Amino acid sequence: MGDQQAPERQVDMAATAQVQARPAADQQEYVVRFDIHQRLQHILMMSSFLVLAFTGLPLKFSDSAVSQWWIGLWGGVESTRFAHRIAAFVMVGDCLYHILYLAYTTAVLKRPFPFQMLPSPLDLRSLLQDIRFYVGLTKTRAQYARFNYREKFDYWAIFWGMPVMAGSGFILMYPVLASQYLPNWAIPTALVAHSDEAVLAVGWIFVVHIFFAHLAPSVFPMNKSIFTGKVPRQRYMEEHSLEFAQAVETSEEQEMPEPPSETPPPQATADSPKQSGAPEVSQK
Amino acid sequence: MRIWLIGIAVLGAAVATLLLLSLPQNTAYAIDQKDCLRCHGVADLTMRTSSGAEISLYVNKTGLDVSAHRYVDCTSCHTTKPHEVPTPLTKLSLAARCGTCHQYEYKLHLQSVHGQQLLQGNQDVATCVDCHSPQVNPHSIVRVLEVNAPAYKKNISQTCGRCHDNPRLMSRYGILEKVYESYMRSFHGKATKLSQSSDISQLDKATCTNCHGTHDIQNPADPNAPVAGLENLARTCEQCHPGAGVNFADSFLGHKEATPENFPVVHYAERFFTFLTASVVALGVSLVLVETGKWAISRRPKGK
Repeated sequence: MGDQQAPERQVDMAATAQVQARPAADQQEYVVRFDIHQRLQHILMMSSFLVLAFTGLPLKFSDSAVSQWWIGLWGGVESTRFAHRIAAFVMVGDCLYHILYLAYTTAVLKRPFPFQMLPSPLDLRSLLQDIRFYVGLTKTRAQYARFNYREKFDYWAIFWGMPVMAGSGFILMYPVLASQYLPNWAIPTALVAHSDEAVLAVGWIFVVHIFFAHLAPSVFPMNKSIFTGKVPRQRYMEEHSLEFAQAVETSEEQEMPEPPSETPPPQATADSPKQSGAPEVSQK
Repeated sequence: MRIWLIGIAVLGAAVATLLLLSLPQNTAYAIDQKDCLRCHGVADLTMRTSSGAEISLYVNKTGLDVSAHRYVDCTSCHTTKPHEVPTPLTKLSLAARCGTCHQYEYKLHLQSVHGQQLLQGNQDVATCVDCHSPQVNPHSIVRVLEVNAPAYKKNISQTCGRCHDNPRLMSRYGILEKVYESYMRSFHGKATKLSQSSDISQLDKATCTNCHGTHDIQNPADPNAPVAGLENLARTCEQCHPGAGVNFADSFLGHKEATPENFPVVHYAERFFTFLTASVVALGVSLVLVETGKWAISRRPKGK
């Protein structure tokens, strides 16, 4: 998987208005999957997450010698607390950025709402298919649309986790203020929620996300698409075959030229407004 | 000519270094004007009391040399006729000895819950040496600001825990709360634990004594205790948390676990998040494992 050879059929994607393919220097063609805002949002999320995890976990596991050594390196809990709060504001800001971005692209730029990120029956079918594949009942994996169920889980886990973490974190940051407006169980519950949800997030990211973004054979050592915005065409075709097929189908419906053999038409850029009736691909 | 001078300089520096290194490292010796340690410095010196019990009369010189009172002569506490003093000492008579100099602390101590029990002859309770000597020995008292002192801020919770983390001892007094554990689980305990021992400025976090008092420590049920009732407790919180009111104090779980009766919301939140975390992480781990397994199988040579 992920081999570098450019297949012959590669250009049919380029004909669609939704997925952009650009011949690179090495003749490898890429599909643009993330725009600059989405990449920036991921960088902010990733960096703030790492700071939060590495300054928060020592508190959770305060008994361990590693925690004490690590906090000593920082010069005490005052320093880690300060860094933790700065990173927390960055993360909350990043989430607001994402929401505003969603609102702006849909309400002002009139791009279609990214329905393909919503959970759908297809996710359940893909999951069941993958389970059947894992246990050997079938030889084929599920085919995924633009976002597979793992990616959707990652995304929605943040939607669940952010209010939990930011809300409880705020209570813990201003306990006196919180106690004036909230019932007496609010502070201890916030502590429980903050510390347990953190372990959940760290566990998922450091096990599942690191595996599928770094260690999985198809992307090893690293899937760079969230940073470059681009995915090698071949891999995109394999990993998001449903979206790919749909895009091709749409391009045929629209009576775009049959698999053309040239470079993409000029309107096929990531920043161009979408045509009505276009499928969910491209920028969201 | 010059080479000789350099040679002599190097040699001189080496000799000087050796001389410096050979100087005694620990030159502090406890005062012993009457040479008591000639006998009492022998480890197996014992005597038999009138009741027939055998007690040790040994004084560990190493501990004495570094103790806070190393420049106080034996006779200051043991009188000039130490062999006529009735033995053994009790915890109360021991505290009274300390009280001859430390009068204010002794007075507060006798009013405290520990001192009140002491006056009634209870030998379980903490008195001066229990909190001020790592060996619980009056001959090795360590000053409070030394990092190895049991009463050094960072060590206080462990020192209290020597008795208060002993369930059998505590159950005799009806103290069922696991105070030490619940403190170490709290933000105060974690922050204290993670603070650097050597940096006193980092040790501004609350520990046992900040809420309960030191020499004047009271039973939490005593209406005068700083933690008795929400009003008192709130005033105690306010020492560090400006503006903390009764509502703030009411958030404290009281050194207890959250149970369906005590803070049910907290209890069920714990259950919910434990379940959620365990199941999601288990799901993730199994996803990674099967994916890895499938990959490993696919790499197997086809011929088998």
